[in-house]
Amino acid sequence: MQFERLAGLVKDRPEAGEFTVHRDIFRDPEVFELEMRHVFEATWIFLGFASQLPRPHDFINTWIGRTPVLVMRDGKGKLGGFVNSCRHRGALVAHTQAGNAKYHVCAYHGWAYGSDGRIVDIKDQKAACYPPGFDKLDHGLQPLARFADYRGLLFGSLSADVPSLDEHLGETRTFLDMVLDQSPQGVEMIPGSSSYIFKGNWKLQVENCVDLYHLTSAHPSFMEIVGRRQKGESAHGLAAIDFTAYKSPETVRGSYTFEYGHAMVWGTVADPRVRPLFMDIENVKQRVGELKARWMLNTRNLTIYPSMQFAENASLQLRVIRPLSVDRTEMTIYCLGAVGESAAAREMRLRQFEDFFNSTGMATPDDTMCYEDCQTGYGSRSIDWQQGYSRGMTAVLRGPDKYADELGVKPVTSTCSQFDMQDETVFHAGYREWLRLMRKGVA
Amino acid sequence: MSAIGNVATDPAMLTLASQLLFREAHYIDSQLWDDWLALFTEDCEFWVPAWKAEHTPTANPKSELSLIYYGERGGLEDRVWRVRSGKSVASTPMPRTHHVISNIMLDEGCSAGRLVVLSNSTVHYYRTKNRITELLYGRYRHELVLQAGHWRIAKKKIVLLNDTLPAILDYYNL
Repeated sequence: MQFERLAGLVKDRPEAGEFTVHRDIFRDPEVFELEMRHVFEATWIFLGFASQLPRPHDFINTWIGRTPVLVMRDGKGKLGGFVNSCRHRGALVAHTQAGNAKYHVCAYHGWAYGSDGRIVDIKDQKAACYPPGFDKLDHGLQPLARFADYRGLLFGSLSADVPSLDEHLGETRTFLDMVLDQSPQGVEMIPGSSSYIFKGNWKLQVENCVDLYHLTSAHPSFMEIVGRRQKGESAHGLAAIDFTAYKSPETVRGSYTFEYGHAMVWGTVADPRVRPLFMDIENVKQRVGELKARWMLNTRNLTIYPSMQFAENASLQLRVIRPLSVDRTEMTIYCLGAVGESAAAREMRLRQFEDFFNSTGMATPDDTMCYEDCQTGYGSRSIDWQQGYSRGMTAVLRGPDKYADELGVKPVTSTCSQFDMQDETVFHAGYREWLRLMRKGVA
Repeated sequence: MSAIGNVATDPAMLTLASQLLFREAHYIDSQLWDDWLALFTEDCEFWVPAWKAEHTPTANPKSELSLIYYGERGGLEDRVWRVRSGKSVASTPMPRTHHVISNIMLDEGCSAGRLVVLSNSTVHYYRTKNRITELLYGRYRHELVLQAGHWRIAKKKIVLLNDTLPAILDYYNL
């Protein structure tokens, strides 16, 4: 019953020129419960950067779906991921976003855990009169079923039944490397993350990251402000990506989809001098080669399904999606910067990030408000099916296009066009992965 | 006590500072944007730090992220332009905002032509489309300077205390 209903929520018939999704996937609390179990609790989820925990006993708190997760570096330097819930009554054993602690002692009944997750003390155990069976239980913090890292990006899974992390990330690793190779020492989270909550379904954010189509209609105020600055009509001199240049015939725009639901869009940049990375581009070229350096100056938005997103236009953003309920989503955003970049590049990066990406910026709130308006619109039960996911279907290629070939990357699908096509086939991968995980879960 | 000095203990100065903060709140809540912008010096600093730990806001806008940082009034003018353009769905229709400024005191650093003013802010705003009220609260630090016979805002720092942010957060509801 569940299986059949879920299968009926995504219409995926490329041969008939049809792709669409049912609005119940955005509004039905039962679907949301299944998503938490079969998507978020059954695949790899991004947890944080290894560089957030440089020293022994450092820890960070994060989430996999509804599950509070404690990532710790033990006394020997080994990283581990655990469910942040005392085995006794369930209370959180670590309470701050980050910190350093050799032991985590539950504040309720005093059970104490080491930074390797093992139980080190059960308060007053000798006098407890526990029956023998109690000693046979593992009282340690529950480790995540899988925990792995890709070049310092930490991922965990609550299900053991997942492919290796390398297989899961697959071809996207080439593009993750473009994020991670910004300097010889890599990339860092600049202090000052922020979180915001929107009253909408999490998949609205999954789509938005690779949605080229909304740009000219949702962000005209930002685009015009950039134009005003260029013409000297604004007293504010900040350099930013000029979206109006996207319409130039020289601009190339493309999209790729990958196995396991990942997807990206990219575009050439008319004036790369607005990129902080450009200040160091000669060194970047020497390190990664001309081709990759050129790609690193392109705009690239990449979703690692279901909850990790990189958005790179002028500056570089990492977004983490945490669904709270069918119609509420928490976003946590980080400004990423090249380790060791010049003070001028760092400051430019910060101002660009605040200008565009911050939820207090001049682009993101317009997206967020659109998600809330969509969610309100989903109240209309007389409309079941979304329209327009077929945009780009007569242009999409199976496999790599010439740009992917040049890079040696093998996407599942590619599109490449001038600006106006604004492909929507790039969303299909996420919904196909959603359906695969959901069907696997309820089977 | 000597560090604060006579200016900070002068009731007339406290009244002057309070009136300017109330006037600023009035201009925002009345959407009198030109009057609001005119309260700031051209080279004003407008700064809303982000947070890097539970009790630690970011401290250096050149090397750490802020929620908003401008070193000039032009940044605020961009935002006012955006609201007036009607082309930002986040600020169209505008929420009704309601600033309450309290606990006003003069702090160290006051002199004959400069007032350093600390206050608490409580901002309720009503989102007409959604028919909901939301609340943001924080601490303000203003630096006021006497310029051509008028007191102007040379610096405004807003430390937002409930920083799990709502969908809309801009100069008008901070």
